[in-house]
Amino acid sequence: MSFRHIWAVTRKEYHHIVRDKSTLVLVLFTPTLVLLLMAYALTVDLKNIPLAILDLDRSQASRNFIQQITAGQDLNIYSFAANRNDINDWLVRGQVKAAVIISPGFAADLITLKGFPIQVIIDGTEPQSGNFAVEHISQRAEEFISSALTKQLQAEGIGEQSIQSLDMHVETWYNPDLKPRNALIPGLISMVLAFPSLSVALTLAHEREHGTLEQLLATPISRGELMLGKIFPYIIVGLINVIVIPLLAIAWFHISLNGSFALFFGLSAIFMFAVLSMGMVVGVFMHTQAAALALSFLVIFFPGFFLTGIFFPLASMPEEVRLESLLLPGTHYAIITRGIFLPGVGIDVLWSYAVMMFGLGITFTALAAFFFRKKLG
Amino acid sequence: MIQTHHLTRNFKKVRAVDGLTFAIQTGELFGLVGPDGAGKTTTLRLLAGLLDVSEGNADMLGFDLKEKSESIKPHVGYMAQQFSLYSELSVMENLQFFSELFDVKAQELAERAERLLNFAGLIEFTNRRAGNLSGGMQKKLALACTLIHEPEILLLDEPTTGVDPISRREFWNILTDLHLQGTTILVSTPYMDEADRCSRVGLMYAGKLVECDSPKAIRDKLEGEIIEIRPQRPEDWQKILSVVTSLNGVSEAQTYGESVHLLVDSGERRMTQVRHALEAENIPYRSIRIAPARMEEAFISLMRKMEA
Repeated sequence: MSFRHIWAVTRKEYHHIVRDKSTLVLVLFTPTLVLLLMAYALTVDLKNIPLAILDLDRSQASRNFIQQITAGQDLNIYSFAANRNDINDWLVRGQVKAAVIISPGFAADLITLKGFPIQVIIDGTEPQSGNFAVEHISQRAEEFISSALTKQLQAEGIGEQSIQSLDMHVETWYNPDLKPRNALIPGLISMVLAFPSLSVALTLAHEREHGTLEQLLATPISRGELMLGKIFPYIIVGLINVIVIPLLAIAWFHISLNGSFALFFGLSAIFMFAVLSMGMVVGVFMHTQAAALALSFLVIFFPGFFLTGIFFPLASMPEEVRLESLLLPGTHYAIITRGIFLPGVGIDVLWSYAVMMFGLGITFTALAAFFFRKKLG
Repeated sequence: MIQTHHLTRNFKKVRAVDGLTFAIQTGELFGLVGPDGAGKTTTLRLLAGLLDVSEGNADMLGFDLKEKSESIKPHVGYMAQQFSLYSELSVMENLQFFSELFDVKAQELAERAERLLNFAGLIEFTNRRAGNLSGGMQKKLALACTLIHEPEILLLDEPTTGVDPISRREFWNILTDLHLQGTTILVSTPYMDEADRCSRVGLMYAGKLVECDSPKAIRDKLEGEIIEIRPQRPEDWQKILSVVTSLNGVSEAQTYGESVHLLVDSGERRMTQVRHALEAENIPYRSIRIAPARMEEAFISLMRKMEA
């Protein structure tokens, strides 16, 4: 292993990245752009869900109830329906996502505590909005019922002091407001930082397509030297993202970094090495840039999206998938980014993940060097 | 220096190189000629260790090509047919890159780079990006990169294809210098005048070496002689061709600039016959003489024989 050979390739590759504008843009701006897009698309705080109401009771109580569920910005009344057909009509057109039907006798049942005759209909084709509406309405209904209950009890002469509410005490740690963004963005950061692996996957095919590989293969460079020489410059450029992306998350999305930035930077460098080596393995097998691009999406980005626990909890996945996810550097890195951003944990907790990533990096680089052939055709 | 034994390379459907056996001695300037698709590039790529050998083997500098291709690489300078340097790198950066991969010491690089760039006439373009050089300059830079580690063997694949005549001449002057300094050179070329400048020429056809000798010996193998006619009016050339090709003993007729070359079985015997035919058709000529055969005629006639 000659360090001079590795350094020669690294410098050459670095010049290529910096001088070829399209590579530079791809490496530097894609992660930022994807983070912005996904952070906005995936972490929309739901509000203004359009709601249809069919009030068949038309009582003071039903009007109070309607007012209670539509207070605030969560649900918006789209319109009052005259009958059930209206509701169906609006739902299929997507004009409303949920509907509330208040049956006749609502007020009477409430006073006699016989029941709570309301029906909630949601659009199952869009479960996110629907579930949100149901959650919101049931919460308000509970409040409504309990206040009705209290009134009734008072009317029967039982004082307020003797009414004790039964309440479960829930406490949320690390992300007290349960803001989806706080949890998702550290995960997204781990995903977007994997983007330079795409450029690495393309670099060998690029040399093949431009004919430069022929001259390179005629030199005494070893396969391992070539692989490392091609990975290093992308680690360096990728580390620029490691600085820019957290700044973006902090300044733009107001995510707080509770752990050490130095630790984050160091572990990110290991992640870069691991995920770029994975790109190198792809590049070794694919002889055209188009094929390398397609395979990168198949084996790096889709698994990185679905199998690293960023969006879908790994605990709920089948055993085989969980084992497979351990082979993805992103799985370990997602735990690291979340750990450093939210609870702010240190290396004492994260070292095992760092070791795993480094091991994967070494393994992938070795595989790339092993399968690369210093021959044309 | 280079000794091949039944060197063979099969691709999916074709046998590009078919049982090649030849030897190149130290210090030779060996030219590989042959029509497109004859297997010249494959031969050079095999010797440069860029392709797997299908059958047979070769010995280069005492190393076994099949087993030790990586050990051979430091001693060989290979120049691909297509431009295959890094266009985003400058002239100097390309030289430096290859010097580092070939473990040339930094002090030596400075000295050699200056000498090679002077030699190649690129000294004023040291900082220009390789992609912005003209075709001829790119070839010379590629040669300089190939020479930076002072290889014992040079393998050059059609180094002057697509290069203007002046650059071609300069390029060959460089090769001649290297040859005189004792470098062993194997160069493939489609140009017959270049073949003539080699110390030995191998003629490839359909993956096989069909002829291998000095240029003079190959020219001498041409059966027959050349009659050169220089017409008074150059525009008569078509008329001349139609008149002479029907004559007995004339096997080929070709134009070379303003003159017409006839390949005949015997110059002396056919000379009067040709004169009479021209005079009968009223075609005036300035001169008619028996001319020495050129490489090209020898080559074409050998090709015709192979095809037949």
